[in-house]
Order: sequence, then C-alpha cells, then structure tokens
Amino acid sequence: MRRIIIDADKCKACKNCSVACMRAHAPEGVTFSLSDPQFESRNTILQDGEKQYKPLFCRHCAKPSCANACVSGALAKDPNTGHVLYNPDICAKCFMCVMNCPFGVLKPDRLTNTYVVKCDFCAADGSEPNCVANCPSKAIYVKEVE
Amino acid sequence: MKHVIIGSGAAGISAAKTLREKSTQDEIIILSADEFVYSRCMLHQFISGERQTEVLSFIPDDFLEKNNIEFRPNIAVTGIDTVNQMVKFDGGSESYDRLLIATGAKSAFPQIVGLRDTKNVYGLRDLEDARAIRDKATQSNNIVIIGAGLVGLDAAYGLLEIGKTSTIIEMSNAILSTNLDLHAASTYHIKFEEAGCAFHLGMKVKRVLSNASGEIEAIVTDHDERIACDLLIVATGVHPTLDFLSDSGIKTNRGITVNEYLATSAPNVYAAGDVTGLSESWPSAVQQGEIAALNMLGIETAHPDTFLPKNTIHFFGVPSLSIGQFIPEAGDTKDSREDRMRYQKVILRDGIPVGVILQGDISRSGFWQQLILNKVDVTSMPKSIWKVSFADSYHIDENGEYYWTMSV
Amino acid sequence: MTERFSCTACCSADKPLEKFISNLSMETSFHRVESQEVKCEFGLEGVCCRLCANGPCRITPDSPLGVCGANADVMVTRNFLRAVSAGSGCYIHIVENTVRNLKNTALAKGTLKGLNALERLCNVFDISGGDVYEKAANVADAVLADLYKPDFEKMELTKKLAYEPRLKRWEELGILPGGAKSEVFSGTVKSSTNLNSDPVDMLLHCLRLGISTGLYGLLLTNLLNDIMLGEPEIRIAPVGLRVIDPDYINIMITGHQHSMIATLQDRLADDDVIQKAKAVGAKGFKLVGCTCVGQDLQLRGAHYTNVFDGHGGNNFTSEIILATGAIDAVLTDFNCTLPGIEPICDNLKIKQICIDSISKKANAELVDFSFDARTATTECILDEVVVAYTARRDNVPLNLLPDHGNDTTLTGISEVSLKAFLGDTWQPLIELIAGGQIKGLAAVVGCSNLTGGGHDVLTVEMTKELIARDILVLSAGCSSGGLENCGLMSPEAAELAGPKLKAICQQLGIPPVLNFGPCLAIGRLEMVATEIAAALGVDLPQLPLVLSAPQWLEEQALADGAFGLALGLPLHLGVPPFVTGSPIAVQVLCEDMKSLTGGHVLINGDATESAVLLEDIILQKREALGLA
Repeated sequence: MRRIIIDADKCKACKNCSVACMRAHAPEGVTFSLSDPQFESRNTILQDGEKQYKPLFCRHCAKPSCANACVSGALAKDPNTGHVLYNPDICAKCFMCVMNCPFGVLKPDRLTNTYVVKCDFCAADGSEPNCVANCPSKAIYVKEVE
Repeated sequence: MKHVIIGSGAAGISAAKTLREKSTQDEIIILSADEFVYSRCMLHQFISGERQTEVLSFIPDDFLEKNNIEFRPNIAVTGIDTVNQMVKFDGGSESYDRLLIATGAKSAFPQIVGLRDTKNVYGLRDLEDARAIRDKATQSNNIVIIGAGLVGLDAAYGLLEIGKTSTIIEMSNAILSTNLDLHAASTYHIKFEEAGCAFHLGMKVKRVLSNASGEIEAIVTDHDERIACDLLIVATGVHPTLDFLSDSGIKTNRGITVNEYLATSAPNVYAAGDVTGLSESWPSAVQQGEIAALNMLGIETAHPDTFLPKNTIHFFGVPSLSIGQFIPEAGDTKDSREDRMRYQKVILRDGIPVGVILQGDISRSGFWQQLILNKVDVTSMPKSIWKVSFADSYHIDENGEYYWTMSV
Repeated sequence: MTERFSCTACCSADKPLEKFISNLSMETSFHRVESQEVKCEFGLEGVCCRLCANGPCRITPDSPLGVCGANADVMVTRNFLRAVSAGSGCYIHIVENTVRNLKNTALAKGTLKGLNALERLCNVFDISGGDVYEKAANVADAVLADLYKPDFEKMELTKKLAYEPRLKRWEELGILPGGAKSEVFSGTVKSSTNLNSDPVDMLLHCLRLGISTGLYGLLLTNLLNDIMLGEPEIRIAPVGLRVIDPDYINIMITGHQHSMIATLQDRLADDDVIQKAKAVGAKGFKLVGCTCVGQDLQLRGAHYTNVFDGHGGNNFTSEIILATGAIDAVLTDFNCTLPGIEPICDNLKIKQICIDSISKKANAELVDFSFDARTATTECILDEVVVAYTARRDNVPLNLLPDHGNDTTLTGISEVSLKAFLGDTWQPLIELIAGGQIKGLAAVVGCSNLTGGGHDVLTVEMTKELIARDILVLSAGCSSGGLENCGLMSPEAAELAGPKLKAICQQLGIPPVLNFGPCLAIGRLEMVATEIAAALGVDLPQLPLVLSAPQWLEEQALADGAFGLALGLPLHLGVPPFVTGSPIAVQVLCEDMKSLTGGHVLINGDATESAVLLEDIILQKREALGLA
C-alpha cells in the first residue's frame, strides 16, 4: 500500500500540510478561510518535551484499531488500496474510533460532533495527498510499503 | 477444513473475516439467531428512526458473498455434540471441524414479581426488542426504563428523538455510574432532565402492576412509589447466552470458560465475545473473534490478559470517553480541570495514569488508552500532564507505522 | 467570551497574578499561548521571505536560494533590518512628539517642572537663552533639526551626547547616523525587494539605527520629559493590582509618551475636576500606571502623588488590570497596547481612548493629541470617562486583587537622583565595584514575553541569580514591571542578594535591583555607565557591565539591542531574534561584533546558565581592568 512516510527531523512546523488538508477537504461552495472553524485539518504537528516537532498523520495502519472499534462499519480498510476510509453516512457518531486510535489522530468535527475528521489520502481527486504536495521540507512523502 | 461460527455479532463476523483472510479454501458457515447481520450498538438509532434496518449492518453489503461465507439466518441452536462434532438446532444439525461460539449475551431481567408474564416489557438487546419498543412507544405515554447505564440512556435518548420522554429508575445514586464520575455524569443528567426525562435514583422496582389484558400499568418502587407505566424497558445488564450448552459438557462459569487461546474445555471448540464474559466492549469482541479464528487455523495466538474498561458516550452533542479507573484509590492522585464546555480528569498511580475521563472535547485523545496500557510515567515528563501526547513516545517503524514502547 | 481551561494559561513569575489569571472568566494573552505553541521554524529562523510575488520563499537544504537568488543570509538580514528600522521608528516617533511638546510648551510659556534637567541639557548642547522658555525652545529646535536631517547629513548632537571613545569607534566604522527619521527611511528602503544584498552592510545599518535610537529615542526623550514633567525623585511607592482603588474613577494609562498626558495629569488634581467625580459618586480621578508611560509617571510620581496611586504592571499585565473591572477608561498614547484588551474593554464596558492615531485601536475613540487643543481635548476626555464611569460601575462586577504587589518598591531612580543619593558623586559606587563588594552591574531591560518559561519568569529568575552573585541589577522597561511586582525592587529583597551586595543594600536601605522605570530609561542607564566609565577613564566595553533583555518582545527591543551592541556591551537575550537561519548574521552578531564595537550577542533561555555566562563576562572584564 501507499503510505505517507514521516521524517520528523525535517519538519519545520510551518503547518502547510494542515492548511493544505483544510483546503482539500473544504465543504463545497464555502470560501476558504483560515479563521473559519468549519475547516479542519486531519493532520497536526505535536511537540515533545524538548519542543521537537512530531507530525501526527493517520498511518492507515495495517491493523487499524479505529476500524476494529467501529460499530457501524463506517471505518473500514479498503482491501484494494489498504487505506482506512470513512463513510460519514453510516457512522453512528459513537467516537469509539477516536478513543481507540492509539496515536490520538482522530477527532470529532469541531462544530457539530457529528462526524469523524479522518484522512482519506486525498483519494477522491486521485492525486498525491495535498499535505505531501505542500510540504516544503520534504518531511512527508508517499512510499509504497508492505 | 470446515469452520462453524454460532453468532453474527462483532466477534463472529470478525472471526469469519479473519478465517477468510488467512485461508481461501476453508468452508465457513455462520449460524445466526438473527435474520441478518446488524450492530447491537446502534439499536437506539433504530428506535429513534434515524436508522432503518438496512443500515443497521456493520459490514459491507457484499461481505458474505465476496468472502464466500455461508450465512444461515434465524437458527436457534439447541445443543452441541462435542464427541461427534455436531451443532444441533431446530430442524437440523451441522458438523464442524472447528467451532466458534460467539452467541453474545442477552438482557438479564431482575427478579421482580410479575415481570416475565407482563406485556409491553422489553429488554434492549436484539432487533426484535428495538422493533417492539419502536412500535409500542408511539402509543405510549408513560415509558419507564429500569437502569440508567449506557443501554438505558441509549433507549431514553432514542425515544426523545421521536418525542417521547421516559422515567428512569436506577438503583445506584447516579446515572452512568459504571462509566463516569458524578461530575461528568451530571452533565448528562441535567441534559436528560432538561429534555423532559425524570430520574428516580437510589431506587429499585419492587413490583409491576398489569391490567386485565396483562399489559403493564404501573411499577412500584421499593420506596412504595407507584409510577404509571405503559411501556417498560429493562436495561439492568446482560448475561452470556449459553443456555444451549447445558448438555454439551462445555465448561462454563459466568460465561464460557476459555484458556488464553480462547479454546473451551471441548476439543476444537472456541469461544469469543460477550459469551466469554471477558469484556463487554465491541473492540474486544472484534479482537477475540480474530484471535479465536487464528487459533482455529492452528496459528497459535494468545489473548492479552490486560483488561481495561473503556467506553465512549455521546448524548446531546456532548461526547465523553472514560478509560480505566475514574475513582482514585488510596495513594492515587487526581488531576482535573474544567471549564464551561469541557471536563478532564486523570487518576495517577505512582505517576502513571490508571484512568481518564474526558468530556466535551475528545479530539485527538486516543493516546490516553496507550498511556494507561503502556504504563507511561507522565509526571516525569518535562511538560504539563495535559500536554502529554503520542509526541512524547514517538516511534516510527520501517514501514512508516507509529508504535508505542513500554516505558521502563 | 470563552471560558478557558485554567491550567492551560501561560505561567508567570508573579504567582498571585498567575492564580488570578487562572480564575479569570475571560480570555487573555496568557490563555492564547498554548494554541500558538507550535511555531513555524522558517519564521523562527528568519528564512521566510515575503518581499515579492514569487514568495513566500523559504530556505531548506533542497532550496537554498529564494527565487530571486537571495540566500539565507540575505533573507535574514533584510528581515532583521526591517524589524530594527520599525523599532527605531517607534522610538523616533516618541522623541519627535516629545520634543515638539517641549517646543510648544516653551513657546506657550507653559509649566516646566524640571529646570535642572534643562540646565544640564543646555550645558551638554552648549545652548543658551534669555529665559528658561527660550532655552527650552532652543534645545527643542536643536533636537528637531537633527531628527529631520537627511540621511547623508550626520546629526550634530550625537557628538555632544556620545561618550568620546565610542564616538571615535563609530566614526571609524562609518556608523554615525544621519537624520534619525531618515535612517529609518533608508533602513526600510534598503531592505525592500531586490535592493541591498550585503548582509554585513545591513547589520551595520542596524548599528547606525541603534545609535540614533539610543541617543535620541531613548536618552533624549527622558531628559526632554524631565524638563516638562519634573525630574525623578527617589521614594517608596506601591505597585501591582493593589494600586487600583475602586472608590475613584480610574484611568489606565498605557504607552510611551508621557508628555502627551501632561495637561490631563495636572487637571485631575484641580478642584472642579474632583467635584466632577464627586458628582457621580466617586472620590476623584486616579491614573493607574501600566506599561512604560506608567513607569514614567511612577518615576516622576513625587510630582503627582494626588492623582497617581502607583504602577499596576507591565505589557502582559494590562489585560489583567482591565479585567479587575475597576478601570473605567484606557488612555493609549502608543504601544504596548495589546489588541487583546479590546474584547475585555467591550465586555467590561471600559472606554477606550487613543490620543495618538499611530496606536489607534479598533474600538477606541480617537482624540488625537494636539498641543493647541490640549485644554479642550482634556476636557473632552474627562467627560467621556465620567460617562463611562456612570454607565458601567453599577453594572460591572469588580474582581480586585488588593493584596497583589507591594507598597515598598523603591522608585524614582535616574542618572541624577542616584548620583545625588550617593553624595553627588559616583565614587562610592566605583569603590564598591573596585573593592569587589559589587562584582559588577547588569542592566536587565526590555519587555516581558510569554515564550519560554512564561511571563517575567526568565527576567525574575535570572535577576535573582545575578544578585545572588553580588551583581547589582539596574532595570528599565517592562522588565521593571515584573521585577517590582515580584518584590525584587523592595529593600527587603536584599535578603536574596549575595552576602556582599546584601550588606550594602541593608546599609543603604536600597534593594539589589534598581528601578529606572520605562524602556526609555535604557538611555539613563547609558548615562550612568558613561559617567562611571569617564570617571575611570575607560571605554564602555571595558566596564564590568552587561546588558540583558531576557524577555525581549518587540521590534523596539531589537533597536534597543542594536544600541547596546553599538555601545560595545555584551547583550544577552533569552530567545534569539529571528536570525538563526543565517550563518553570517549569527557570526557577526555573536562573534565579529567583538572586533567591531566590542559588544556581542549571547543567547540563553536558562536563568542560572545565563547568570553564569554574564558573571563570567563581568569577571573577565574585572580581570582586564586589574580588579581582583
């Protein structure tokens, strides 16, 4: 499968990845604004105790704890691409996935708590994930992995 | 090899999926008491009308067909012949090479005089229960729910969506007392009351009264209070579904007794999910189904012995999660913070979190479970406990996956 | 307003203040630190360039040049020069308004409360006149003439204000400034798109800006204000949120331009104005000091005891002072006026008034100061404040912290008052330094910021470490606000000093940290240092004197820092300015500067380590001077 590989040492926390993600997942017909809370990034940059940047991106895990915890089947690993995809239409909004993502990547949406903000690998537009395309430091890149 | 699975819940389906992933040839048969595969965790959304039967499933429409799994609906298993390796049911039997019992659990009704024989009294465990409640509720004016745990409140919440309020009787002094502390529970308590529900805490139902047609008319509490009732939902817990095992010789305790490989006392018979009584959560049922399946295939896999109670709660747009202990024991320290929208509490034992409650904002909080499981000493970190995250144990393997390490 | 998780509020060296903030039901800067915690490293290192449409360009190993060809050194020094130019511009704006007020006051034969200051300045400038007004007008004209010179014409007073050995070095380096306003102009032009690409030239320009900023923006502003408003007098005064008395109509002042409120200050003491307050149920009017103009008023507080109760706090305390609910109006003449005060003012119905359009806040009423209209605008302001008081006091809850701060802060210290205190000679101080009872001097100046350890944390902790090493600390700027509220400027703080410094402090009844007031008073510190150096017959870099802006915040502080470097002083900063992406900038500022001016930059965010580094420098300088 294709995975976004992270080279944390190269991350400069410019947050281009987060902005690109917000843009890529903008609700249709809504003008993009960085101060509009309905735009949310699937990724984020954390810092450890030494202030080192630690990018947090969905791994589309080989054994996805989020999908295992999903009571509705809304989260499931696509057998063809290996990506863990989310279908908000059948989601039960129980957020068991949020609790069970071992790395704290998933979150309910900020404004309504009615869906899960989840990386889709920008699969819909068939391109390279937008976060990767917008990283100036090459701290994230796509690679074919087992 | 021929695998027979009894039950089509989280554990049964997970086992079938794992069997097929590992073996393209083996025969897989699911004997299900249900008419189709559905998720028990969403029945309240069926009651509320938010979800119809066709979207109660938790597997893709083509799952069974694509994975060449034979699904036999409406099968009431009556016994197991462990010597001849046969499953017996009304109108037939089925042989097996490996058998998985994943029959789950069913509502446990308290010992209340007259309860069993009274009409319009339901549990909330099966689609059948949900259908009955949904049909009856529209004409009911006095709905009573026994039990203010998650299932009881799920029912109450689903009913609110169709404009029906309930009176909820709970024997402990707080709602959601197995999931949340008083502070977090009170958030929901207030919201349910504001929505029109009434709670009677610290009370039990002593008797049920019925009319001439045998329909429920009222309940009487142990405080001798009479509460009118034309629909009673009993949500006082469940017990494993294992009555059909009585003649099988398979050892049971509260649930089916299994070893670390989830094998029962009978050869080639395994058990997974709620029927084992090991844990009642969906993710652990999925995990047990997978582990049992691997062992059925001869891939020896042990079930982890760590048991961590955990749940998410989501009513009125306020999500909560609760993992592990939320009441401090002697010697524990408690750290908490709150504002108008949020509440967070952590219980620490020697600097290591043993439980957490998050309410209002549970964004990116999944790492908490790992802090607890991996016994991470959060107080030794050069940052506030509230700023600890996966960043503080950040590891990436050669495939680009994150992983945690046990702290020393 | 959003209520926030109390525990996420940024911490402060001032623990009672921190606790107060954590219980506030409104958002302040302290609460916003966490959500801005993850910083962009391109910005931090100064290697993001937004000067043209091809940008923003950022430097990485794979993209070492911007589209235009600018490398990290060019980007960094260009950005840095722009920042220093802007910072210089701020101070030059202040001195320009101040000197114009002096000129107008002189022409109008208005009150001049500091005739000694006038006399001193006339002597320095070699200016005479028939009477004090003529002298004052002549002084003002001389300053104005310099400020407005073109950049190719050197300012004349520089030579009279600067210490001789320094002047010589500056001439050698070619960094004597032209007209102060023009230098800001050239710095801005130089750092624009596709102009200068010589990192060293741009850094030298920063030094030139440092000199014009220091001598004019800082030093002269103090003296010009002293002439109009009175000279500092040493006294004990209260500080902190305790100074807020809810029985009065309270006006919080914030800014840097003390002379702009001269008329108001005097009016508040007038009977008819007090009656105005009494008519609406208050005992009178009080000014509550905040940021540098508050420090300025505190410094000159001996002249204004009836209208001024004391200084509340520094830049990041302003939101908190307002949050007490007992302030009825904010009077802004300049920075540091945080945008964050606006929602608090709206929420608590506090009237916002700006008297200089340069610091116009979105929700403030602009009552632009003009000397001619000063009487009318003052009355207008008073009326507005009374209206605000009447409308809000019964409707806004008070949330006071009457125990905060202390009543024992020693204030009113200047180059004149301190010398007078020592017996009109620096000799006692020189002897104490020579004898080692005082190891050396540390000027702890600048702002407060909320990075690193939190509000005033490094300033206070490092200062404690310095005094424990028998180093006498002199402070000017918002650093003073933090140090005084934490008690270090009270005589009792002698207990925290090393044994030798403690003994001296106790003998003299002074604290081990001396409060010179606003950041402008960095100019006073320069005068103290220069006079000591002159008495010893050495140049400034030889003195056992270090400069530290541990919690510098803004562009003005960078211009102050450039002044310190031009003076040849070791300059310590808690966090680097945005230059670390440029090897040349780092090399020049931290190393090569030693051979240019004698100064250098050192960066350290740890209190103890910083104190050790500064002590080492002091010890080296002592050794070079032959002091034990």
